[in-house]
Amino acid sequence: MVLDLTMSMAVLALLGALATIAGCLEDLESDVGSQSNPNSQVQLAPQMNFLHRIYNKAISGEPISNGMSAVISGTVATVLLNAKFYPLTAIALGALVGAIVLGIFATTSYAGRVASQARFKQPLYMDIMRYTTPSIIAHNFIVNFCLVAIAYIQFEVLGYPFTIPFLALIWGISAGAIGSSVGDVHYGGEREFQNREFGCGLNTALSGRIIRRAESGLRNSIDNVWFCAKFGGPATGIALGLTVFLSSWPTTIWGYTWTAIGVGALIVVVMAVMNRLIEINVKNAYGPYKEDKEEKEARA
Amino acid sequence: MVFLDPTAILDIFLIGLSGTLICLAVHFIPVGGAPAAMAQATGVGTGTVELAAGSGLVGLITASYMYAYEPSADAFLVMAAGAMGAAIMLASTMFAGSLIYAYGVAVPFASAQVKRDPITGDRQDIYMSKGTQGQGIPTICFVSGIIGAALGGAGGGLIYFVLMSYYTPLITTHAAAVAGVFTMGVFYVNSVIPSYGVGGTIEGVHDPKFKRVVPKDVFTSAVVSMICGIVAILIAGGMTV
Repeated sequence: MVLDLTMSMAVLALLGALATIAGCLEDLESDVGSQSNPNSQVQLAPQMNFLHRIYNKAISGEPISNGMSAVISGTVATVLLNAKFYPLTAIALGALVGAIVLGIFATTSYAGRVASQARFKQPLYMDIMRYTTPSIIAHNFIVNFCLVAIAYIQFEVLGYPFTIPFLALIWGISAGAIGSSVGDVHYGGEREFQNREFGCGLNTALSGRIIRRAESGLRNSIDNVWFCAKFGGPATGIALGLTVFLSSWPTTIWGYTWTAIGVGALIVVVMAVMNRLIEINVKNAYGPYKEDKEEKEARA
Repeated sequence: MVFLDPTAILDIFLIGLSGTLICLAVHFIPVGGAPAAMAQATGVGTGTVELAAGSGLVGLITASYMYAYEPSADAFLVMAAGAMGAAIMLASTMFAGSLIYAYGVAVPFASAQVKRDPITGDRQDIYMSKGTQGQGIPTICFVSGIIGAALGGAGGGLIYFVLMSYYTPLITTHAAAVAGVFTMGVFYVNSVIPSYGVGGTIEGVHDPKFKRVVPKDVFTSAVVSMICGIVAILIAGGMTV
């Protein structure tokens, strides 16, 4: 379908907004279920005699499990669309099915992982499973809804050559890759080791020594997602939103030309400069950890 | 015999070349794996396959859209569209990741592989915290990552272009689906090969691992990608309009 520039920009803005919500919730889903790289610490903790009440799912790498639930949602939505369901109903029902499948995987994964740690006396808390699993499903439902909605708009409105399930799979994998790269650092680098002085770095000798006490009582995954929703989740959302928006914006304005490609390259350069500004700012804020040997010798 | 057709031979060669580009690209992308997710190693806190495939697939979407809506687009424009999409995805990811490292975890960016950043000239060793292999995404890693993503996206765009040219006369309406899925498969194959070479983590072009493993990985990838190319041509044998 050919849209005029105003409508194209409106659709693009909607895609960006949906992607921002999807990215944010994807990261929070991985935090509440404890998945991806930071989960290595949750897995390691019982071996260091740090028994805990954190959910431990890690079905697979975050992009793959997220891609799986997204493609299931996309497939169910496509079937329902072919059966003449309203698009919103079809997408919502598809997202629900995908989220429930992920919930089943989460349950078996948690039980399986904890069972394998029986020799380290890590208990399987049934109350944790009962009230964390619905939270995982709820987060994943929103992610699936947004990703399939993006795929639907791209296929039906913008006329992308790929089908809804395939687009949902690609965006699911990309959302998982971004969540794993951005928001998980907030969970793994800060929340799991929050008792360390802010800005002191994280010695590898601390591996597995995760924090088990919460602001009140014993810490669980709901406490973790509460914390990560303040920064890790939104930052992931911004990254996915920027990806979806900026990867299409140049061609929307300048058409399918080399000029659009040039604008895309310019965007990347601007981001590199912004990264450099952050690097300078953070180095000035926290300073070097070690004294420069050359300066020390010169002073002596 | 389909393999004696010069067009088929050229297509197999181009798929081999594209796969090799993707494999080379993965070595440029700074991935620190699980340690980086705890700010204990330099680079992005995820795995090579996740990040390379994630960015490359966004490139595939932009490349496919370019191919579909610009009939006169040549291979270079489709490759450039793929490169742009992938580079924007990785740049956004690394930028947001830097925000977390800087203001969420609060660690100054430092590479463990060089004393000074080759681009900015900043000292790295004195900013490395105790008991870590560096942390965050310094400028050299960021630039290396963008180059890698662009190469990967261009490689994906080229595979898609080649396969679409081959499949479209055979299966008009479904060519994009088959070409897209096959391109995704080649992406994963060529993201896994370097993972073994680099041992799961690499900082980018300045990492000594880069020079050590690139020749072996690229050779392996060229062979494996050409086998993928042969399979891509073979499956076309059963396609009818």
